[in-house]
Amino acid sequence: MQLEIRNVSKTYPNGVRALNDVSLTIPRGMYGLLGPNGAGKSTLMRTIATLQEPDSGSIQLGELDVLTQKDRVRETLGYLPQEFGVYPRETAERLLDHFATLEGITDKRQRRETVDALLQQTNLWNVRKEKLGTFSGGMRQRFGVAIALLGHPKLIIVDEPTAGLDPAERVRFLNLLSALGENSIIILSTHIVEDVSELCTRMAIINGGEILLEAEPLRAIEDVRGRVWRKLVPKESVVAVEQEMPVISTKMLAGRTYVNVYSETQPGDGFEPVDPDLKDVYFSAMGGHHRSATNGSTQPAVVQ
Amino acid sequence: MRFREIFRYELGYRLRAPSTWIYFGLMYLGPLVMVQFSSTENDRVVNAPVHYAASVSILGFFALVITAGIFSDAATRDADTRMQALFSTTPITKLDYLGGRFAASYLVNAVLFAGMPLMVALSMTFPWLSHFNWAPFRVMAFVQPYVLMTLPNLFIGAAVIFTIAALTKNSLATYLGGLGLGILYLIVINQGLGNDTLENLIDPFGIGPLQKVTSYWPPSEQTTRLIGFPGVVVLNRALWMGLAVALLVFLYSRFSFSHPGVGARRRSVQMPGEEGDERLSHAIASVPRARREFGARTRVAQLMKVARHALLDIVRNRVFLVMVLGTVVLASMVGWEVGAIVFDTATWPVTHLIAGSLHGFLISTVMIVVISLVAGELIWKERDVGAGDITAAAPVPDWIPLIGRFLALIAVLLTLQALYTVSGIALQAIQGYYRFELGLYVRMMFGLQLIDYIILAALAMAAHVVVNHKNLGHVVVIGTYLFTLVAGSFFRIRHNLLVFNGDPGWTYSDLNGFGPFMWPFLWFKSYWAAWAILLTVVATVFWVRSTEGGWRARVRLARLRLDGAASRAAVVAALLIVTTGGFVFYNTNVVNEYRSLEEGTARRVEYERRYKRYEHVPQPTVVANNLRVELYPARPAADISGGFQLVNATSRPIDSIHVTINPDVDVRALSFDRVNRLVLDDSTLHQRVYVLDRPLQPADTMRMTFEVVFQPRGFTNAGQPTDVVSNGTYFDRDWLPGFGYRPTRELPNDRERERYGLPPKAEPPSPKDTTLAARGALMDGGSSYVQTDVTIGTDEDQIAITPGLLVREWREGGRRYFRYVTDKPVLHSVPVLSARYEVRGDAWKGIPLRIYYHPTHTFNLDRMVSSMKASLDYYSAAFGPYPYRELRVVEFPRYASFARANPYTITFSEGSAFITRIEGDDVDRTFFVVAHETAHQWWGNLVRGARMKGGALVSETLAQYSAMMVMEKTYGPDMVRRFYGFEMERYLRGRGQFASREAPMSEVESQSHLYYHKGAVVMYTLREMIGEAQVNLALRRFLEAHDDSRPPYATSLDLLKELRAVTPDSLQYLMTDLFDTVTLWDVKTDSATAEQTESGDWRVTVTVTAKKVRADSVGKETEVPMSDLVDIGVFAAPKQGKGLDEAIYLQKHWVRSGQQTITVTVPGDPARVPARAGIDPRHKLIERETGAATLPIVRRAEAGRTP
Repeated sequence: MQLEIRNVSKTYPNGVRALNDVSLTIPRGMYGLLGPNGAGKSTLMRTIATLQEPDSGSIQLGELDVLTQKDRVRETLGYLPQEFGVYPRETAERLLDHFATLEGITDKRQRRETVDALLQQTNLWNVRKEKLGTFSGGMRQRFGVAIALLGHPKLIIVDEPTAGLDPAERVRFLNLLSALGENSIIILSTHIVEDVSELCTRMAIINGGEILLEAEPLRAIEDVRGRVWRKLVPKESVVAVEQEMPVISTKMLAGRTYVNVYSETQPGDGFEPVDPDLKDVYFSAMGGHHRSATNGSTQPAVVQ
Repeated sequence: MRFREIFRYELGYRLRAPSTWIYFGLMYLGPLVMVQFSSTENDRVVNAPVHYAASVSILGFFALVITAGIFSDAATRDADTRMQALFSTTPITKLDYLGGRFAASYLVNAVLFAGMPLMVALSMTFPWLSHFNWAPFRVMAFVQPYVLMTLPNLFIGAAVIFTIAALTKNSLATYLGGLGLGILYLIVINQGLGNDTLENLIDPFGIGPLQKVTSYWPPSEQTTRLIGFPGVVVLNRALWMGLAVALLVFLYSRFSFSHPGVGARRRSVQMPGEEGDERLSHAIASVPRARREFGARTRVAQLMKVARHALLDIVRNRVFLVMVLGTVVLASMVGWEVGAIVFDTATWPVTHLIAGSLHGFLISTVMIVVISLVAGELIWKERDVGAGDITAAAPVPDWIPLIGRFLALIAVLLTLQALYTVSGIALQAIQGYYRFELGLYVRMMFGLQLIDYIILAALAMAAHVVVNHKNLGHVVVIGTYLFTLVAGSFFRIRHNLLVFNGDPGWTYSDLNGFGPFMWPFLWFKSYWAAWAILLTVVATVFWVRSTEGGWRARVRLARLRLDGAASRAAVVAALLIVTTGGFVFYNTNVVNEYRSLEEGTARRVEYERRYKRYEHVPQPTVVANNLRVELYPARPAADISGGFQLVNATSRPIDSIHVTINPDVDVRALSFDRVNRLVLDDSTLHQRVYVLDRPLQPADTMRMTFEVVFQPRGFTNAGQPTDVVSNGTYFDRDWLPGFGYRPTRELPNDRERERYGLPPKAEPPSPKDTTLAARGALMDGGSSYVQTDVTIGTDEDQIAITPGLLVREWREGGRRYFRYVTDKPVLHSVPVLSARYEVRGDAWKGIPLRIYYHPTHTFNLDRMVSSMKASLDYYSAAFGPYPYRELRVVEFPRYASFARANPYTITFSEGSAFITRIEGDDVDRTFFVVAHETAHQWWGNLVRGARMKGGALVSETLAQYSAMMVMEKTYGPDMVRRFYGFEMERYLRGRGQFASREAPMSEVESQSHLYYHKGAVVMYTLREMIGEAQVNLALRRFLEAHDDSRPPYATSLDLLKELRAVTPDSLQYLMTDLFDTVTLWDVKTDSATAEQTESGDWRVTVTVTAKKVRADSVGKETEVPMSDLVDIGVFAAPKQGKGLDEAIYLQKHWVRSGQQTITVTVPGDPARVPARAGIDPRHKLIERETGAATLPIVRRAEAGRTP
C-alpha cells in the first residue's frame, strides 16, 4: 500500500498559494517532509489527514480516495498535529481511553489492554493518573503519539513533532517513532534536517508550496557529492562571495565564515570539496540548484 | 504614552474585527426597525421620555451580551493566544495595559449604545412616521437616559465582565457574571422583594428605581416630563458605579501578566518517566491488536463517550457549582411568593404555581442564556484547549461530536430541572405545604418545560456551529429569544408557526389539569421539534472539523457532506415540518378561523359601518327565559335550547328584530311566535334581522325559541376555548342570542378609528343627562331583570350550578340533571358551572350557605363562611334584607382570574380566594373579597346603575365600602386602616399607569384604580368625617328609592344626592373634593414643639403648610384655596418600638392654604409624654407625594415648672 498524491493545489482565501501542483508517492516506512516554516508542509499534512480540502488534485491511499472517503481514511489514520492541546483537567489514561473508543475499540477489555500497552510504550505508564495539565512538552508530545498510534493505523502523520523539544527529548521521541512505525506509512514533517537524515528512508523537500526534491536521503547525498565546496572567508567578504557564486549556506566559525557553494566544478581558489550531508542537499535544493527531474522520480537532476 | 498606544491599538483591533461591525449594525439598525413597528395603540406617545428611558435601559440589558463579548475578548485574548507573556517583558504597567484595553472597549461600546438615541431621534424626521404620536423633540430626552442609564450600566456590566474574564480566563464564569447582574435586575422587575429601599439598591441597572419614581407621575407627565436625575436613581447609580470601581481596583491589585489562569497551575513536581526510557523501544511487539469495528454499536459507544466527556468537562468546571447554587437561589426567590400578592397576602404554594413560577419569564430568560452559554462552551472547548485537530482526525462521523454534545447539554438541562424541582419541593415543605404532586412536577418540569428548552438547545447548538464565532453565537441565540418575545406585540407576527418555538400556551388548573391545552401544545412542539432536527442536520453539515475558516470552504465542505445520510435526514425533517405544520395549519386556519389583528379590526369597523344606523331602533327586552342546557364535559360540547319571553319596553312599536349570534356557536333553530320574515342573514358579522308582519306594540309580549350548539373542533392558534371542559365548565349568557346594536363591539381607540374614517368613539352618557333614553339601558344587548328557569344536564359525577333555587335534581340516562328557578326576576346573566365539587354547607338565619369547591382547596372555607355570615349580618341591618333565599360560593378553573357576584351565586377563580394564604395579622383577603362579592347582592344585583358614566360608583365603590365596614366590625379599625393604605397606594400608582383621562368619581368609567381603589379611599374618608350611621342612612335611602327592575335606572348623581343630604353644610366642600372633582392635597409638618405648662399639661405647637389642587383630565394641576378639616395629632412614643404610635390627641382642625401654626394642649401624664406631632398623621388626604406628616417634638425650655 502506498499514498499517491497527484497534482494537489491549494490557495487560501487571502491569496496565499500554499500548495502548487504537488505530486508525491509515499511508500510504507518513514517518509520525511522537509521544508522551512511556511513552506506548505502543514497544509499538505492536514490535507492528507482529511482536515482540509485542496482546490484541485487527488490523494489516494491504497484503494481509498482520501478526499471523498474521509471516514474510511480516518479509520486507518494516526495524526499528530503540529500544535495541539489536551484537556488539562483530564488524566492521561482517561483521555486515551476516550480516544480509543473514538477509534472504534469498543470492547472494554481490549481497550484497556491497548491503552495500557500504549502508555507503557510511550513511557507514560507512571503518570497515567496525572492530569494532563501538568505534563511537560515532551510528555505531551509522547501522549500525542500514543493517541496517533491507537488502532494500528496504516497511515501516520506527524507534523513537526520535534519542534520545541529539548535535544534529549527529541532523540527519545524519534526513537519511539521509528520503532513503532515499521509497518505503516509514516509521514514526518519537519524543518530539522537531522530528523530526516536519522530516520527516514525517503524524503521530499518542499518550499513555497512546491516539491523541490523527492529522494532517498543517502542517494541524494551521493548525488551532490563533489558539487558542494567550501571556503573559510572573513566575515566582511561573505557578501562579495555571494554576489559571485551560488552560495547555498554559510556557517560561522571562530569569527570567520564558512561559505558553502554549489558548483559542478572547482569554483575557485581556496575552495575545498565538502563531504556532503543531508543539509547540503537541503540547501542545494532550497537554493534552486538541485531538484528531481520529475516528481516521483528518484533520479536527481541538476539544473543550470 | 504607553496607555495611549495600548488604547489606540485596542481600538484599531476592535474596528478591524468583523464582529464589531455586526454589532454596529444590530445596535443602529435594530432600533431603527423597532421604531417602524412601534405600536400606535392607545395613543401611545412613541418617544415619551419615561417610556423611552425604560426601553433604552431594557434594550441595554439584552445588549449586555455584546458588552460581554467585547470585554471578555479584550481581557482574555492575549492569554488565549499565549501572548500575554510577551507583555510581561515590556515596560508596560498593569495600569496601562488594563486601563487601555478597558477604555478602548468602553469607548466602542459607548458608540454602539448611542445607536438607540440617535436612531430614534432620526426616526422623528421620517415623513412616513408622521402619523405617530410624537412628543416634541428635546435633546435632553435622549441625553439624560444615555448619561443616567446607558453609560453607567455599560461601565458596571463591563467592570464585572472584564474583571472576571481577566482573573479567571474562564469564559463560562465571565458570562455567568454578566448573567448574575441580569438576574438581580430581573428579580427586582419581576418579583420584587417587598422592600422598596432594598429593591432600589440591588437593581444594578437602575431600571427598577426609575420605574418606581415615574410610576406615580400623572398621565400628562408620563408623556412629556423629562426623567431628569431623580435622587433614588442617582443614588443607585452612585452605589453601583462605586462597586464597579472597587471591582476594577481589585482587578488591578490581583492581575498579573504571568497569571496562569484556571486549571493551569502547574505543579513543579518532577515527573517520573522523564528519564531512563531505554526499555521502550523493545516493547513494540506487545501492543495487542485490538479488534476495531465501525458499526452501529461503535457509533453508540462513541456517541455516549463524547456525551459523557463533554458533560464531565462542564460539570468539572468550577463554574458549574456556581450554576447549581444560582439555580437553587433563583428557585427560592421566584418560588417564595407565588400567585397574586395583594395586600401583602401570599398564596398557598400549590404545586402547579411553584412549577409554573419555575418556568416563568425570569427563569426562562435565565435558562435561555444558560443554554446558550453551555452550548458555546461545549462547542468551543475542544478547540480552545487545542485538541480539535486530533479529534477531527479520529474515525468519527460528523454527527457524533455534535449530537454527543447536544446530549450533554440535555443532561445539564435535566440536572438544572431536577435542581429546580427539588428546590420547589423544599420551598413547599418550608412553607408548610405537603401536597407535593410529584407526578405533576415530572410532567411540568421534565415534560412541557424540558421540551421547550430542548428545542431552544437545538437552536443554540446550531447557531454556535454555523455562526462559528463565540460571542456572535450568543447574540444570535439571545436575539432570537428576544424576537420571540416581541414578535406578537411589536412585529404583529402572531401565528405560532412563524415565531420560533411558538405555541398557543397552556394553563394548568387544579380542577381541570392540563385540560384542552395538552394536545395542541404537543402538536406545535412536534412542528418545532422537526425544525430542531433540521437545524441539527444543518449544524452537522457545517460542523467545524478543521480550523480552516472561510465561508467558501465551509460551504463547499457542507455540500460534500450533504450526501446520503445527511440529506436523507434533512428530507425527513422537512417532511416532518410539512406534515406537522400542515396539520397545525389545517386546525388553526381551516377547521378554525384564523384572524389577524388587522382582520379583527376590519371586522369591528365593518360592523359599525353596517349596523350603527340601527343603534336606536327599538328592540324587545327579555323578561323571562326557559332554558335547557345539556353539557358534555368530556367531548367537550354544549347544547342550549329554550326560549325567551320578550316584551316591548319602549314607547314605540317594534317592527324588526335585530338578533346578534355568538360566532362560537352554531344556531340549530331560531323562531318567533309571530309571523316574520328573515330579511338579513349576515354570516360574517353574525347578524340577523327579522321583520315582523304585525309590529310588537308597547308593553306587548312575544316568545322566541332557539337552539344553539357549542362544539369546538380541532384547535386554534391562540389558546383553546375553556368554556366547557372536562372538570370546571364555566360560561355565561354570551352564547344566547342578543338583541340590537352593541356599541361594545366598536373599535375603541380614536386614533385607529380616525385611520378607518370613523368618528371618535361616542362616550357613555353623562349622569347629568336625565332623559329617559340616556337612563334607559342597564346592560348590553337589551337585557334587564328576568325570571329564569334553567335545567342543566351534565356528567353523572358533576354538580351543575346556575343562579336560582334548586327545585329538582334527578338522574336520567347516566346523566345528572339540575333545575334552578329564580323566585324573583334577577339580572339577566346565565352563568353555568359544572364540576366534580365538594360542598360545604352552613346557614344564616334560615338561609342556606353553600361553598362548592375543589376537594383539595380547603384552606379558607371557614373564613368564607364567616365572611358570608358577617356580611349578611351587617348588610341586612344597614341596607335592607338579603334579597335571595340562598347564597353560594362556587369555584371555577383559573382560566379567568376574576370573582363575580351573580344573584344567589358568587363565582371565584381557583387562583384567588380559595388558595390565598393568610397568616398571623395579614389582611384577610379571602374574608374581604367574599364580603365584597356578597355586598354586590345589594350593590349591583338589587340596584345596578344605568349604563352611564359613574355607574361603577353604584356597584363597585359601594361594594368596596361595604366590605371595609364588615372587615372593621370583624377585625377592628387598625386592619381597615392598613387596607386603606394599600388602596391609596394602588390608586396613586394606577393614576400613573393609565394614560387615559382621570374622571371624577361621579363620572367614573372603566378604570378599576378609580372605582375600586380610589372608591375605597373616598368612601372611607367620608365615613371618617360624617360617621358610619349617616353614610348608611344615605345608602339605605338610595336603595329604597331605586328599584332597578325598570327604567329609569339609578345614576351616580342619585347616590351622591343622598350622600349630600346627610352631610352637614360645613363639609359639603368635601363631597365636591371627593366625588365631583379630582382633588389632591399637599400638607406637611414644618416643625413641632412642646412646652410644659405650670399645671403639668403640655402645650404642643405645630407649624404646618397646606395646599389643595384640582387635577384636570390629563393630570394638569391648578391650585384652589383650601379651608378644610384636617387631623392634627400628638403621639406618645410607641411602647414596644413598633406598631402604631399611641395617639394622645387626634382632632380635626380647620386648615387653610399656606403656612400656619396650630397649638393644642394635652394633659400631662408621665406614661404618655408627647413624642411626635403633625398634620394628617393617618394619611387620610389624597397626597401624591407624602411629605413629613409628623415630626419628633422639640421641647422648649420647661417654663415655670418647679423642680
